[in-house]
Amino acid sequence: MKMDLAIEVENLVKIYGKGGSGIKALDGISMKIPKASTYGLFGPNGSGKTTLISILVGLILPTSGNAKVLGFDVVKESVEIRRRVGLLPEGFGFYDHMTALENLVFLATLDKIPSDQRKKRALETLEMVGLKDRANDKVSTFSRGMRQRLGIAQALLKDPELLIFDEPTVGIDPEGAAEFRNLVKSMNKEGKTILMSTHLLYEVGMVCTHAAVIRGGKLLVQGSVEELYQSVREAKGYRYELRVKSGIDMLLQEIRSISDVIEIKQNENHVTVLSRREIWGELLPLVSKPQFKDAVESLKPIEPSWDEIYRFYQEGG
Amino acid sequence: MISDALSIARKEFTDTITSKRLWLIVGVLLLFSVASTYSTIFRVITAFQQAGRPVASVFSAIATTMAYMAPLLGIALAFDAISGERERGTLRILLSRPIYREDVINGKIISALAVISLAVTLSSFAAVSISILLHNIAVTMDDIARVCLFIVFSIVFSFAYYAFSLFISTLSSKSSHSLIISIGIWIFFAFILSAISSLIATAVLGPPPVRSFQAFNMSQRQFRNFTSPSIFPQEYLDYMRREAEISSMIQAFSINYHYTQITSLLFGYATRPIEFSRRTLTSIPTVISTRLIDIVVLIVFPIVFLFASYMIFTRRQEK
Repeated sequence: MKMDLAIEVENLVKIYGKGGSGIKALDGISMKIPKASTYGLFGPNGSGKTTLISILVGLILPTSGNAKVLGFDVVKESVEIRRRVGLLPEGFGFYDHMTALENLVFLATLDKIPSDQRKKRALETLEMVGLKDRANDKVSTFSRGMRQRLGIAQALLKDPELLIFDEPTVGIDPEGAAEFRNLVKSMNKEGKTILMSTHLLYEVGMVCTHAAVIRGGKLLVQGSVEELYQSVREAKGYRYELRVKSGIDMLLQEIRSISDVIEIKQNENHVTVLSRREIWGELLPLVSKPQFKDAVESLKPIEPSWDEIYRFYQEGG
Repeated sequence: MISDALSIARKEFTDTITSKRLWLIVGVLLLFSVASTYSTIFRVITAFQQAGRPVASVFSAIATTMAYMAPLLGIALAFDAISGERERGTLRILLSRPIYREDVINGKIISALAVISLAVTLSSFAAVSISILLHNIAVTMDDIARVCLFIVFSIVFSFAYYAFSLFISTLSSKSSHSLIISIGIWIFFAFILSAISSLIATAVLGPPPVRSFQAFNMSQRQFRNFTSPSIFPQEYLDYMRREAEISSMIQAFSINYHYTQITSLLFGYATRPIEFSRRTLTSIPTVISTRLIDIVVLIVFPIVFLFASYMIFTRRQEK
């Protein structure tokens, strides 16, 4: 079945500078971002995330390779892309001497929003990011977090099909970051595609349906979050956590007897089980047996952490 | 698209005309223009009165002030035009809109041209009007035509510095660098190059011949015939002419020189001692035909730098 794609990148290469001294920022990246997904692009600083995003919206040209955003070619049809994409660039700024509303109305003009709707739309987006009561304040009076929220508002102005956020939660306080993640989730529910770059692993896990890991200009892995978990589980083993009371020796013995269980670790009332394969179907009936029912408070699978996923793929998958 | 460029131009124009920077320059230009008419008018009015054109002394004083201030106006508008947007991060926000890169630079150029035209026209007319009222001088249609022509050349001159500073701003990632380079070039063209050209001319020609006259004891008639052989020996005049030729050749690299050549002929004021005798006004068509090369240079200079800025900005890749 053909996937409906928002972004399709094929063997993208970007070299800054000319000749032998050129720096390869992107080294043959290929990726597919499905429509209506929240796609997390994770990588350390300098891994090529911003370069990739800049190419996708036509701010810079690729050295070689192809990329299409919403069906438009990034080299030949970049204006059409920017007409449909809301971008929150990294290190952006606003006209400090103007108010938040004036900034957005000016940008709405360039977004080709009809003149009678500009102010209304600007106020709507300010409300979405919680800045409506500061609409008539000069941006120079805004904190860094407020500027970041205003940045999100300007990306939402044209009600775009695709939103691209480059390091969106940098400088925002934890409360603001949580609000942002809720906003992303609600926009995703509306059917918008969101591509979000970050160097914070936990953000990917919190909001993304799909993710890719980029390092040194190369894509280490991509897929749905579940696919990524699965790959790590298959390679590193499945983990389960039991919260137990006392007198569980019999239970542990029975768990050990399940084939492919590699390791059982007990730390006071926490038991961690590691197995080579999925054993949920065997563990659950086991702990539900009458003789163990009272000894086990809870049982849950433990997903690999994003640190583990990153390390796993960094080491070659 | 022109509508996008105009949207940017409208915002830029509003920002500029409400900025303190612009009105400070216009204020200084006006103040210095009017003040300089006082110092000039009493010094040279006699000569002009005898030529029947006392108003020319007012214009020449304003033209001298404009020669220094117009470049500053251009630089003030351009030094952070692109680099400032880059520093503030607003360029990223602008370029993420569905517009062409050309629209950004076109908008800035349109706005700058409008602001320069407005500022130069207003300050020139204000300076001329105030000076005429203060010194109670009658003005003819020819004088008004000269002022209008002067305004046009001053706009082009200021715009030439705008274009140069925009070029630097397009290349630079820091406005402070752009400002330092632009001001440095202005200082070099306005002050240093003329000194260097004189030094080079002296080095080439050797020391001037010894002269034996007392300028302070000159009669009015002798002053009017300042360059006549009765005052200066022919040998000395030849030396000065050759020195002026070498100096002019070197200064021809400066846009300021070409502007001054045009305005000096337009208002009949001398730019060097050897020309003190030129206190008659040349007709406007003659000014244009005589100074055609200077006019062409004045027009070509900004075009070259605008084109260079345009090419660099539209081809530069901003992450």
